[in-house]
Amino acid sequence: MIITVQFWSYFADYTGCKKTEIETENGTTLAKLHERVCEQFPKLAEAKNSTLKAVGVNYQDDDFMLSDGDEVSFFPPVQGG
Amino acid sequence: MKTQLTISIDPIDEAALVKRREMGDGMGAVVCFSGVVRGREGHASITAIDYEAHEEMARHQFGLIFEAIEQRWPVDSVRLVHRLGLVPVNEPSLWVEVIAPHRAEAFAACQFLIEEMKQKVPIWKKPLPA
Repeated sequence: MIITVQFWSYFADYTGCKKTEIETENGTTLAKLHERVCEQFPKLAEAKNSTLKAVGVNYQDDDFMLSDGDEVSFFPPVQGG
Repeated sequence: MKTQLTISIDPIDEAALVKRREMGDGMGAVVCFSGVVRGREGHASITAIDYEAHEEMARHQFGLIFEAIEQRWPVDSVRLVHRLGLVPVNEPSLWVEVIAPHRAEAFAACQFLIEEMKQKVPIWKKPLPA
């Protein structure tokens, strides 16, 4: 299945891109995808513990099971206001 | 509860927003908050902050916060404006108005809204050094 991954704020500087597509096997969890992305973009791993994760417009837990076509966002703590 | 959410690169016109205020029947408290860009970030002087948002998710998350307010306080109206892009020092990046029957719930809901925003709404800032 194909997952679209978006990086926001300075995470896009860490990866050098705002968006990428990752092909992964069925049954991949959000945590597994995050690990995979950290391997692909090692600088992201430095911020692993503070990374926020969303699927579509909702925050999701690490054990969230991804589906084909999901849009996943990884980003640092938010700073609105 | 009436809600109005604006996320835009346009400057926040506070006077115009106040002029468009609509007081519901029985409402006696209006709390307004402006978040203004400071000239310093830590120890460094800055000229502006560049705001970025995951806008679709930000709208959804604001909606969830508005729903939580409606369940918790008898608030009649919430209006919120968040500016994106470059916001110069001394200009507002955020404007919030909460209208309720009494001041206690208006203050509490406004504080809650801003605290929740700072935890959950995907907006980020990049200060521009002077």
